[in-house]
Amino acid sequence: MTTLQTVQELLIERFGFERHEVDAEAKLHELGIDSLARIEFMFVLEEKFNLLPTEPTVAVSTVGGIAEQVDALIARQRVTTAARSSAVQR
Amino acid sequence: MTRRVVVTGLGAITPLGGDVRSLFDALVTGRSGVRKLDHRLSVCGAGRIAAPVVEELDSKFSKVKLVSMDRVTKLALLATREAVASAEIGFGSAIAERAGIYWGTGMGGAVTLENAYTELLVKHASRLRPATIVMAMNNAAAGQIGIEFGIRGPSHTYSSACSSSAVAIGEAFRAVRFGVVDVAIAGGAEALLTRGVITAWESLQTLAKEDPECPRTSCRPFALDRSGFVLGEGAGALILESEESARNRGATICAEIVGYGNTTDAANLTQPDVLGQARAMAGALAEAGLSAEDVGYINAHGTGTRVGDICETLAIKVVFGEHARQLPVSATKALHGHLMGATGAVEMVATVEALRARIAPPTAHLFHADPECDLDYVSSGARELPHMRVAMSNSFGFGGSNAVIVARRYPHLP
Repeated sequence: MTTLQTVQELLIERFGFERHEVDAEAKLHELGIDSLARIEFMFVLEEKFNLLPTEPTVAVSTVGGIAEQVDALIARQRVTTAARSSAVQR
Repeated sequence: MTRRVVVTGLGAITPLGGDVRSLFDALVTGRSGVRKLDHRLSVCGAGRIAAPVVEELDSKFSKVKLVSMDRVTKLALLATREAVASAEIGFGSAIAERAGIYWGTGMGGAVTLENAYTELLVKHASRLRPATIVMAMNNAAAGQIGIEFGIRGPSHTYSSACSSSAVAIGEAFRAVRFGVVDVAIAGGAEALLTRGVITAWESLQTLAKEDPECPRTSCRPFALDRSGFVLGEGAGALILESEESARNRGATICAEIVGYGNTTDAANLTQPDVLGQARAMAGALAEAGLSAEDVGYINAHGTGTRVGDICETLAIKVVFGEHARQLPVSATKALHGHLMGATGAVEMVATVEALRARIAPPTAHLFHADPECDLDYVSSGARELPHMRVAMSNSFGFGGSNAVIVARRYPHLP
């Protein structure tokens, strides 16, 4: 399952949307997802993807944007982890 | 310039049901909303008696909205939806800026706060839900009412314990009367059936002991065998409007609010004061321009504590004199429980319904009369009062805050 698909499933599960409402292009504000709901959903994503708690760095406005941000955070965490482990090996 | 203020809409969600009709029907027939809590109805309060709202709430809101709503806000919105629908009022741009919110609550988002403390202090969570603050704050319900109905005028949240929503209605009445707003959403909500709150009330030794044979009758205001009140939850809402505004839009008018009294005991945080209560009743009558003899029914504060029941009885005698002997007084808390910050609003809804139907609901469970409580408490069932024109609702809160509202049938007949 892609990150986007997982994000879509979580949006459906957490907020009760229909599948067709959460296309990648769907605008968050049009779905009624306000700033509080975004932070709440970020907590859900952190648990699902084992992300370290973090401040979102890019203003996300679409469902697809959330998935891209999650991918970016996963990649950044991998780099950080790899750097730490290579530092330990040295 | 003062204006006449009328009630054009009513809403309630209470331990007796999800609307005004279920509330008043239960009060008239003597059906109790008191029951034993189970885990479905309470945050760890199972086993105790209380008066919970049993309606399912979450399906009435979108899941995105639920992210930032405490139980108290859900109750507030549901009562307000009924009131707005029954008033058949819409808040378009012109009326929205001349409309205000006057809301009452004792403890606001008590469930959210208790959950947050449990997460943090018991489960050692590293962080809390982001909406914790905006769910727990006392004015959360007022804010959400404003958002849902597009109300753009003033917004006030009153917190004076058990008189909170009576104060809200009284202040809304004044705001309409003196031209601050044309329409007011007034009322209150409370949702505090949590383990922490119930335990704190138990420590105060004011809660009713469970009747082992018939728990539903455990709350017995004005009775010799009373043992305290039963904590409840719920919400009540009224649409108050200037007579001119109501007439211009052809609204059905349920009753007129004619007087409001608000006094402070300045005596004791928990012990009620006869003269403080009496001054509130007398003040409401004075504002209404009515005499004691005009009042045909009182919905008492009547919580079912010994000190409170006797104090209110004496205060009624001080204000009404000889008329007190033939004045029907009833305490509906025996059936819906003590809804704390919401209780004044729910009882005002009941009082308006009593005026419309010209029926005084009874004081239930008054099987053994107390010689110190010797008024007519309507103890033998609901009573038709064909000549009732004016009714009073009393609410007295910890802190010594007394709020009394007087309503009259509309149209006013001489």
